[in-house]
Amino acid sequence: MTAWEVFLQQLFNGLLVGSFYGLVAIGYSMVYGIIKLLNFAHADIYMSGAFCGLVLLGFLTPYIGNAWLGIVVSLLISMVAVGLLGVLIQRVAYRPMLKAPRLSILITALAVSMILYNTVMIITQGQYKPFTTGLVHESFYIGALRMTETRLVLLIAALALMLMLHLFITRTMYGKAMRAISLDRDTCQLMGINVYQIVAITFFVGSALAAAAGIMAGVYYGTVHFFMGFLIGLKAFTAAVIGGIGIIPGAMLGGLLLGLLEAFGTQIPFIGSQWRDVFSFVFLILFLIFKPNGLLGRIESERM
Amino acid sequence: MRKHWILMLVAVLFVFGVFGCAQDAAPVDGEGDVLIGIMVPVTGSEAADGIDMENAAKLAVEEINAAGGVLGRMIVTTTGDDECDPSKATAAASKLISEEVVAVVGGYCSGATLPTLSLYGDAGIPFVIAAANATSLIDENPGWAYMINSTGDAQAAKAVEWFKNLGVESIALVDDGSAFSVDLKDQTKSQWGAEGYAVLAEDRVETGTQDFSAVVTRIMAANPDGVYWTAYQGLGALLIKQLRENGYEGVIMVGDGSSAQELIDLAGADAEGVYCTAPPVVDFLPAAQSFIEGYNNSFPREPGAYAGLMYDATYLLVDAIERAGSFDGEAVKAALAATSGFEGITGPVSFTPQNTLNRSNFVILVAKDGRWALAE
Repeated sequence: MTAWEVFLQQLFNGLLVGSFYGLVAIGYSMVYGIIKLLNFAHADIYMSGAFCGLVLLGFLTPYIGNAWLGIVVSLLISMVAVGLLGVLIQRVAYRPMLKAPRLSILITALAVSMILYNTVMIITQGQYKPFTTGLVHESFYIGALRMTETRLVLLIAALALMLMLHLFITRTMYGKAMRAISLDRDTCQLMGINVYQIVAITFFVGSALAAAAGIMAGVYYGTVHFFMGFLIGLKAFTAAVIGGIGIIPGAMLGGLLLGLLEAFGTQIPFIGSQWRDVFSFVFLILFLIFKPNGLLGRIESERM
Repeated sequence: MRKHWILMLVAVLFVFGVFGCAQDAAPVDGEGDVLIGIMVPVTGSEAADGIDMENAAKLAVEEINAAGGVLGRMIVTTTGDDECDPSKATAAASKLISEEVVAVVGGYCSGATLPTLSLYGDAGIPFVIAAANATSLIDENPGWAYMINSTGDAQAAKAVEWFKNLGVESIALVDDGSAFSVDLKDQTKSQWGAEGYAVLAEDRVETGTQDFSAVVTRIMAANPDGVYWTAYQGLGALLIKQLRENGYEGVIMVGDGSSAQELIDLAGADAEGVYCTAPPVVDFLPAAQSFIEGYNNSFPREPGAYAGLMYDATYLLVDAIERAGSFDGEAVKAALAATSGFEGITGPVSFTPQNTLNRSNFVILVAKDGRWALAE
């Protein structure tokens, strides 16, 4: 491969991985924006989504036949199912804690995370599971860039989901209510907005997107594992901070940026790809020191 | 007055301590069952092999008990789960030691086995290591551990020999940062270099990641004739898939950590033609057929790559106890050291002065039609 080919390849790899980060980061950002909670269980929602998709795919493939159609149907059902799981978690674990100190709800989130991944670990006996889709990776070239159908579809799907979310937030009443609640929850309540309902919707949308990302990762990488959410959770959190936590376009931007940063950082000669995670987290620390509000964040004065 | 109280307290504690020890030590020389510890990862990422090993040890114990036990006493096993994690392994070892096992068999992940060697050594408990085989274990061994699997250098030699056999002239090495995989990578690198060939890329993936695009692009850019993955199957399958998907057409070989059928199941069609430097897998051993039958009768799964070694380790330990004529740690250790040509299903066992197996037991497998097959 020439340097130009490596550049193109990594550009694409970075965008694809970055869009996964972005989809997961959105969930962190939405929840943080609305109830100021770092929902650590979000990474495990991503993992649950992948396993949900795997089970559905196993059920549906014999009936559907077409590989892509099977994936789309299981993706949609999983998004709804895992979205509801997110709402359930919110109802059972977080809503009783909303008035408690922030640390309590953070610890609750950690507990939910452990419950989720340990449950999946017990069910799967800790084994890697093949995510069989029936897709074949026939490759073709766009210029010097080697491409497969799967990758192209996944990237487009991820970007489309982000666009749909953006429209949902900016163009619907629910989106408007979410934005209002993130500004001032108490006033919204006084204005007659059903805050609990909006919080539930936020969890539904965030979890559904994470589930979509999980299934797409399953399709792309071909295996799933109970611990698959851990690292991507940290990366998505980093992406959310880079973009400005609580700001949804920031989470998308942060995800793509982080993906690209890793893709190119790991190609620096004499630095192995084992430094990839170091790149991400050094970047996180730099942002926390020099630009704690993130790329798109505004400095707000503390309301008294 | 206060001083007296403290002295009294110390005296009482001392008496109870001595008395307690004496009581606890009784089962070793008295009657009743004898306790043997099994240390393997039965949960976590390497649970598949760990559970196979635990099953194999239990099968061996069942057979031994059915034939009258050891020195006239029945064996009971207790499992310490090391989760393939050094910190969990020390906890597992402490648990086994506190349960006063007479000896321990097991050891799958070298990284997790390493910190337990001194614990067993300090406690005077003989440890037969069935699978773990990094050369670093040799240096850390206080003398109480015996390794019945060939070590990393023997495996590296096999890998180099097979790469040469295939006409490969340049390779890339990829590990996952675990003690075992780094050891195998270093051994292969130095032996490959000594043959006058080039290592074009050396890389590492982080456990827990799914995305290997960085490594794959580096390998594609260096374009070596062969790639050697020295770590475990979960990540190995991901690497193989992503290499093939990106159009890599060279030879892919994996180390013994990836020799389970799971690798092929996970990597699917991409695994076809992948080579593996494997431990003596029971499927290919004529002496192991009755073991496979017994295993399949007792457990609803196939014995993995290490079940045979674990079965041998358990029988070897019992053999050593019989030869020692006692359950005393020192005596069993001496008997293990004196092992000469013990006939296991994976081949004869004798030890070098470093407590390692005195021969190389590696074979080359190739993935063919979705199964491992002998390549030689």
